Amino acid sequence: MDLKTIVRELALEVRAAAGNLERPVTGGYASDLLSCVMAKAQAGNLWVTLQGHPNIVAVASLLNLAGLVVTEGVTPDPATLSRAEEEGIPILTTPLTTYTVVGRLFALGIPGVER
Amino acid sequence: MRELSLHILDALQNSLEAGANRVELEIEEDPLADRLHITIRDNGRGMSAEQLARAFDPFYTTRKTRHVGLGLPLFKAAAQRCNGDVTLTSQEGRGTTLEATFQYSHIDRAPLGDMARTLLAFLLAGRSDLAYRHRRGGREFAFDTAEIRTALGGLPFSHPEVRRWLEEFIAEGEASLEEPMR
Repeated sequence: MDLKTIVRELALEVRAAAGNLERPVTGGYASDLLSCVMAKAQAGNLWVTLQGHPNIVAVASLLNLAGLVVTEGVTPDPATLSRAEEEGIPILTTPLTTYTVVGRLFALGIPGVER
Repeated sequence: MRELSLHILDALQNSLEAGANRVELEIEEDPLADRLHITIRDNGRGMSAEQLARAFDPFYTTRKTRHVGLGLPLFKAAAQRCNGDVTLTSQEGRGTTLEATFQYSHIDRAPLGDMARTLLAFLLAGRSDLAYRHRRGGREFAFDTAEIRTALGGLPFSHPEVRRWLEEFIAEGEASLEEPMR
């Protein structure tokens, strides 16, 4: 499933890299601890977090993630959005909680990462 | 990171990469003032004003293998989340000092973690000496590996018996900070 479909199904707001939504999503990962994300998330994953700091873009870029969902109505820092635009990392926002977003992603058939 | 010791180890590794041969690490836990202070002072090659200005930018790294460096940005974000901060001061050719502060009781402050393992990893990773001072409340554990090296008369820290002794020495010192006050 590509990001565009996920954006539509979950009514997410696209805040950066709107041109990069064709990419297939290989799975999902959720955590707010960036060191855990670095250890576990895999290329092509969609990462669900409530962090809005520019560091999230660096982690997503390092791991070649498909994109990020920033939850609970958090407004990502302007620096986060401009960096994400430069790096081509889609930033999607939602008022939903991380728990709900993950539940809906599972319902769409996006698997978790276990290794 | 789940433990602050991992941030400390990362910063200590920066000191080694900067060519330091002496590093001072001070940890002060002050529950009364509700502050945790961590200071790392090295005598490495230091940083230029331009390097210093970008040290907390995750898209800046001296590393050649990838284009992002997250060590310092993550340390700073962890401190800021806990009403603290991480700051750097540096003089080229003289060294760099990192100061981190946290609100001690902040609910998001990670525990300090396993300092004995962290210090041992640092001592075995490079040839730098370490002056260590850890205070908690009224207690203190401190040592200087320059003195330990002299006492060892040339035996390296990686020697199995030295290594075992160091491990126990540091673990006991750290544990002594935990003992209930009599």
